[in-house]
Amino acid sequence: MSEKISIGFPIMREEPGEKRVFLPDFLHKLTGIGFEVFIEEGYGNSLDFYFDDFKIENPRIHPLEREEIFKQNYVLILRSPHDDEFALLGKNSCLISMLHYPTHPLRRKIIEENNIQAISLDSIVDDFNLRLVENMKSVAWNSLEVAYAQFEKYIPNLIREDRTAWKVFIIGTGMVGKQAVNAASKLGKKERNLEHIRLGGPGAIVTTIGRNIAYHADQMIELLAQSDIIVDATQRYDPSKPIIPNGWIAHLPEHAIIVDLSVDPYTPDSIPPVVKGIEGIPHGNLDQFIFEKDDPNWEKTIPKIIPTTNRRKVLSCYSWPGIHPESCMRHYGQQLLPLMRVLYKKNYHTLSPDGLHFERALFRARLDSFLKRKTD
Amino acid sequence: MIGLPTMHLEQGEKRSFFPNFIRILEQSGADVYLEHGYGNRMGLEETAYSRAVPSVTFVSNHEVYQQDIVLVLRCPGDDDLRNLRSESCLISMLHYSTQPKRVRLLRSLSVNSISLDLLKDDSGRRLIENFHTVAWNGLEAAFQVLQDTYPKPGFFSPDRQAIQVTLLGAGALGAHTAKAAVRYGSIPLHERLARENVPGVIVTAVDYDITNHADIMQGLLSRTDILIDTSARVDTTRAIIPNKWLAYLPGHAVILDLCVDPYQQDKGNIYTKGIEGIPQGNLDQYTFTPDDPIYANIPDFVNIEHRRNVVSCYSWPGIHPGECMQVYERQLHPIMRTLLSRGGLKNINPNGRFFERAIGRALLSNWVG
Repeated sequence: MSEKISIGFPIMREEPGEKRVFLPDFLHKLTGIGFEVFIEEGYGNSLDFYFDDFKIENPRIHPLEREEIFKQNYVLILRSPHDDEFALLGKNSCLISMLHYPTHPLRRKIIEENNIQAISLDSIVDDFNLRLVENMKSVAWNSLEVAYAQFEKYIPNLIREDRTAWKVFIIGTGMVGKQAVNAASKLGKKERNLEHIRLGGPGAIVTTIGRNIAYHADQMIELLAQSDIIVDATQRYDPSKPIIPNGWIAHLPEHAIIVDLSVDPYTPDSIPPVVKGIEGIPHGNLDQFIFEKDDPNWEKTIPKIIPTTNRRKVLSCYSWPGIHPESCMRHYGQQLLPLMRVLYKKNYHTLSPDGLHFERALFRARLDSFLKRKTD
Repeated sequence: MIGLPTMHLEQGEKRSFFPNFIRILEQSGADVYLEHGYGNRMGLEETAYSRAVPSVTFVSNHEVYQQDIVLVLRCPGDDDLRNLRSESCLISMLHYSTQPKRVRLLRSLSVNSISLDLLKDDSGRRLIENFHTVAWNGLEAAFQVLQDTYPKPGFFSPDRQAIQVTLLGAGALGAHTAKAAVRYGSIPLHERLARENVPGVIVTAVDYDITNHADIMQGLLSRTDILIDTSARVDTTRAIIPNKWLAYLPGHAVILDLCVDPYQQDKGNIYTKGIEGIPQGNLDQYTFTPDDPIYANIPDFVNIEHRRNVVSCYSWPGIHPGECMQVYERQLHPIMRTLLSRGGLKNINPNGRFFERAIGRALLSNWVG
């Protein structure tokens, strides 16, 4: 290939707790494919990586200023750039990021208006509509690891005096809910679970339901009353109504923990309005994802019209995989590598729906492909 | 040269690859040999294959096993395996971990193999699987039985309690099973019962380790309507639910066996199903009442005293053969293309590209055990 294909890695400008960057090993593999790699000055500092850690005498890895990073052939950034940053992209650049086309119409409009070639990581799906770049497992395991850790602070090895099993109630059986059942049954962490078993601990009993139980108040309250942990992993048809009204939270044991995996925001003014599946709980991020009942920040993310009277400890994070940033990025790097091989040989315009496995998947993730499916 | 034998198993086993998939094999560089009668049970004549792939050759059962690569979904019997050529490659669902005798036989024949159930990506996700169909077909059958056994006021009554499902194992299959269970294994039934305000399904999942706690399990079993085994045990010499615990299940309860581990004796070890004392079904018969004559065929070392209605099938996806094979064909396409375009196993680099690495993980030559 005569022309050099470049790829730029900008820093994510999110909350300070967002530390994720693509790892040096992934960048080196990209140069092995043939890419010229450009990283923003300061990239990786959040994880104690410095330029030399990326460079390691590799002549194809270079530092660059942020504005120039956005001008490369490809721009790879995990979380979407902010709306005012799209204008930075070069005329022939292709943005690769979690763009969530269906749920972010405003962002989509800006991308369209700026004529940006965009590939959304969350839309890269195989022939069975399974996402190829996802980390649902970490969403479930990271959150439940934190949940059980709260109890472990005062119950060593999670073995209670009365040796009762932990009861976890998971609402929703979709992609995240399925992983949550597995994680909850293993106390959120395999090593912890093995030690618990070794000591004769009773383990966890995980209950999960679908919609036709969720609407039966008596049944739900009975389940809530016996739960140590409840997990919202729902994908609601009607996000304007909660699954658990705030009043039902009063039926949870005082020590119970609420885990928010759906992380729907409160947007009461949008059409349709969106509220959280469990009413009156705060919306967290990587800076703060643990909220005690009397947390001073409790109401910061909750509109005044939402009742918050009944409270239990809440775990909520917009980016659960980011809690373990290196492991998360190792995972994404593995998933992205075969896709990047395709993008080295093809580009946004030459990707074909009739190509091989990974090429077809990339084709489906182009903004143009999404818009065409929408109009069809 | 690749051979595709017919699966000479129970009558209900109808599955064969479709002509379009055979064309993909040919386009990837293979000379394709099909056993006479291939596809007949799916209603496909030899001409359907010849039209799609004029170069295809129909041969005898013996000859089809003489090719460089032999592709067959379910593992053939020992007699067929002995027809494999030394240094050839068998591609099939071989389940090395639960089939030690099979592993020894293949090694003694100097056959290498790719076990379809071990083709995994870098994160350990299976590339060839139909868990979705295993779960939904199994649950559909189990709920059909429960409709008949459920006591008054009856399964369809809005006055009945929510159905209680107890799930052993919470791995990949368990996850699909939980989702299918809360929908009765049937979307039309789910929608009908929701419309009629009949209480739904509550699934309680336990990791198999909790089953060491008899008191907890007995409490769970006593209120279970459907007990499902989806466990992936490390030690298959130990049952999760000993037969005597089945006595705690209500009389109307249904046991659903989705992991279909076999009963076996090998080198002094006794291997058992996760739920002790239940029969193993197949595509010819997969529902069993407590007085079914099949119990007489269960080996003597298994306790069969306590019984309930059982739903078990060695090949759940095979209930809907056409849909099943379409799924497998799409999953297998890139694997076969990689294998054939490289000129066979000898040129596969286990540390190479994505699909080569997946093949490397599934090789018998890389299996320790």
